[in-house]
Amino acid sequence: MNEEKTKFKNLNDYAEDVYKCTKCGLCQSVCPVYKATGRETTVSRGKFTLLNGIINGKLKFNKKIAKNLELCLGCKACYDFCPSGISAEEIIAAARHESSKINGIGFIKKFILANFKSNFRLSLLKIGLDIYKTLGINNITDLISKVTGNLGKYLTLFNSQLKENTKYKKLKPVKPQSELNIVYFSGCINNYVNSSIKNAVLIVLEKNGFSVNIPKNFTCCGIAARSSGDFESFSQLAENNLKQIPDDVDYIITDCASCGSVWEFYPDFTEGKLKEKAKILAGKTININKFLVEREIYIPENSKISKKITYHDPCHLKRFQNVFEEPRKIIKQIQGIDFKEMKDADVCCGAAGTFCISQPEISKAISSEKAQNILNTKADIVCTSCAGCKIGLSQGLIEKNSSIPIYHPVELLAELYLKDEK
Amino acid sequence: MSEFKTNINDKIINSLKSILGNPNVLTDYEDRYCYAYDATAIGEALYLPDVVVLPENKEQICQIVRIANENNIPIVPRASGTNLVGGCIPLKGGIILHLSKMNKILNIDKNNLICTVQPGVVVGNLQQEVSDLGLFYPPDPASLKVSTIGGSIAQSSGGPRGFKYGTTKDYVLGLEVVLADGTLLKTGGTTVKNVTGYNLTQLIVGSEGTLGIVVEATLKLIPKPEEQQVMLAYFESIDQAAEAITGIISAKITPATLDIMDKNTMVTIENFHHVGLPTDMEAVLVLEVDGFKESVAVQTQQIIDICNKFGAKNIRVSQNQQEADELWFARRSAFGAVARLRPNVLTEDAVVPRDKIPEFISKTRKIFDKYNLTVCIMGHAGDGNIHPNVSLDLRNKEEAENFEKAAEELFDAAIELGGSLSGEHGIGMLKSGFMRKALDENSIKYMKEIKKLFDPKNILNPGKIFHE
Repeated sequence: MNEEKTKFKNLNDYAEDVYKCTKCGLCQSVCPVYKATGRETTVSRGKFTLLNGIINGKLKFNKKIAKNLELCLGCKACYDFCPSGISAEEIIAAARHESSKINGIGFIKKFILANFKSNFRLSLLKIGLDIYKTLGINNITDLISKVTGNLGKYLTLFNSQLKENTKYKKLKPVKPQSELNIVYFSGCINNYVNSSIKNAVLIVLEKNGFSVNIPKNFTCCGIAARSSGDFESFSQLAENNLKQIPDDVDYIITDCASCGSVWEFYPDFTEGKLKEKAKILAGKTININKFLVEREIYIPENSKISKKITYHDPCHLKRFQNVFEEPRKIIKQIQGIDFKEMKDADVCCGAAGTFCISQPEISKAISSEKAQNILNTKADIVCTSCAGCKIGLSQGLIEKNSSIPIYHPVELLAELYLKDEK
Repeated sequence: MSEFKTNINDKIINSLKSILGNPNVLTDYEDRYCYAYDATAIGEALYLPDVVVLPENKEQICQIVRIANENNIPIVPRASGTNLVGGCIPLKGGIILHLSKMNKILNIDKNNLICTVQPGVVVGNLQQEVSDLGLFYPPDPASLKVSTIGGSIAQSSGGPRGFKYGTTKDYVLGLEVVLADGTLLKTGGTTVKNVTGYNLTQLIVGSEGTLGIVVEATLKLIPKPEEQQVMLAYFESIDQAAEAITGIISAKITPATLDIMDKNTMVTIENFHHVGLPTDMEAVLVLEVDGFKESVAVQTQQIIDICNKFGAKNIRVSQNQQEADELWFARRSAFGAVARLRPNVLTEDAVVPRDKIPEFISKTRKIFDKYNLTVCIMGHAGDGNIHPNVSLDLRNKEEAENFEKAAEELFDAAIELGGSLSGEHGIGMLKSGFMRKALDENSIKYMKEIKKLFDPKNILNPGKIFHE
């Protein structure tokens, strides 16, 4: 226990940050959870008050407080808005870590986290899903889902995550082969659930003359473990992933906002030489949208996609990696696309990792609002750049009985390239 | 459940639950712990409510208040809890009525230029909604992105635009108010002209939840000005800035905003936000003019000439909306910047006649210097409402005590110059002890009589406005 205390920051390390909350309450205006519940305990001001009480010894760190700490999406919207510049997301993760020692982690959460920790279990999941897909059971369950109410909605949600937009095809490069040494961190969803985005990333990169290296032994990025406060697992996953990367790498490309955001945290969760490596790699990690926009990529002049498109900003991309103009640029570059900005494009989709499972009602309320904003644009396709957001967006759209397809901007590009090649 | 400070008991809790449904009645210690404060820095003091309720309609509020009255239980309305005078703090425990779920705009009437809203509607949201229809709701408290209409009415709040457009009180046409006995009072109406008996509407505005609970409000709207222009004018002395203010007003120009910030404020903002404010100037005026395009151009030129005449060192004029936003950002980030200096910020709100501003600012500085407190002075120069923002650590007993002393001297200075305790924040629990400094015997006597008539059992936000 003592050793752990020195390894990770604990609640007391944030005592001053928590205390300096002036209670101005501005966080109420941007907190999606507060909007859904209307309760003071669910907004950062309330949580800081509780944490301050714990630090001062006025409150016991009991399960009721742990439950309130659950009610944070980690979307960082309040950080941007906080006059005192307090990072609720970071502090609440640390508080959850402390809480897990005192109050434990809930059973469902534990189960999910355990799965993400084990590539073996994830592989089993993949085998199961592959069978499910090949047998075409999803078509049957899709039919069933239409008549089975709430359970059906879960089935539809599940099936929507398996729908592949892009199939891989080797295309002829239009640019000379690049010398860059690129590692592609493709993430769990691509590897075990649905490789559509990975297919698209490979198509687009190869077409533009980039080849990538995908180390075999990557594990989950650990984002869910970190935000749940399971710092021990997160640090193990971080160590493993860092070790897989060659020292002479130029870029680590990620397509998923969440997978991309963890690299900035890795230095705080590793030690010694690996910590130094983590610091260097944090600067080399780049989101695929940004990587492409920073280069002159191929845009075919004779192919177009005539669709109306809107874009949802993943929290982990806009507020954690400051990438929000790039995906829009990619979409707008494509001939024929009519881009329509939605209201509150950068408000959380409601999925937020395990939040959608531990707090289904609040999560659904937030996702429904997001879906309404999407529907108001009358878009044919909604784009986003995060595997987690795909769950949140589908969840909301299903609630609104809509089946607008969800694409990664790179999937649009891939589709364009495939059309061009025909 | 024996820990209740008031007459609340399990039976009453159960009645509340049957009115509101279980999820809307909060009794856990941890929940109540988060309703013991508002945006007021009160240090370690803890005033726990016994129960927090989240009503969804006015009928529920009538029932809740009736129960509170029958059982002599204090009841404190609250929405976003952003006030700075402890207005939402349940000094005597009891029920907190959290209005976060009553946040609907019920009607916007374009033909009659009015709207009807629930008390939990956020001021900024209302402004956005009416603006989309080409209309304008001017009151703009600094916290408008989160503060509500209910709170604005309770505290009669203002904002930078007060000089030209007035404050909340000037936009309230009619109210529905739940009285202490749980019955509904309807005041005013939907017309701008209305002299049918006493003006009960204006009695409720600014009554800080001590006379009744506003559950619906009809507000006046005006057409949205065609254009705005923002300017910053820098001066080497506060006196020069003050002369420019007088010059502008005597030239018959009425800017929508005429704010002032002192050197300390500019330096602090620059430290944290790097917005390009000079750190060697003693004062900056933040001006916004609005109206028809042609009129804005004329006013802007006149202001530039006047500022130059009185020795402005530099004047920045916004050329487009983005620049206007940047200039406003400099002004709006003032509080946040001060908040980053030290853990706590206390904002005062005294008001003085406009021509006394330079004298008051210099006195303010002297007072806080004397007590070794860091102060950034900003305020609405157009209406004489000055906000010294004091940055300190309330855990330091000496600093906390020094602030108390300085605040009292500040009030004395304001009153001596012909001003008063509060321009737009209200009295609440923080300034109730100083009411006698500002008001004559009869004013206080009649106010107390009114309070007794409305709330004979003193259940509505007890301990506010009047010192007990």
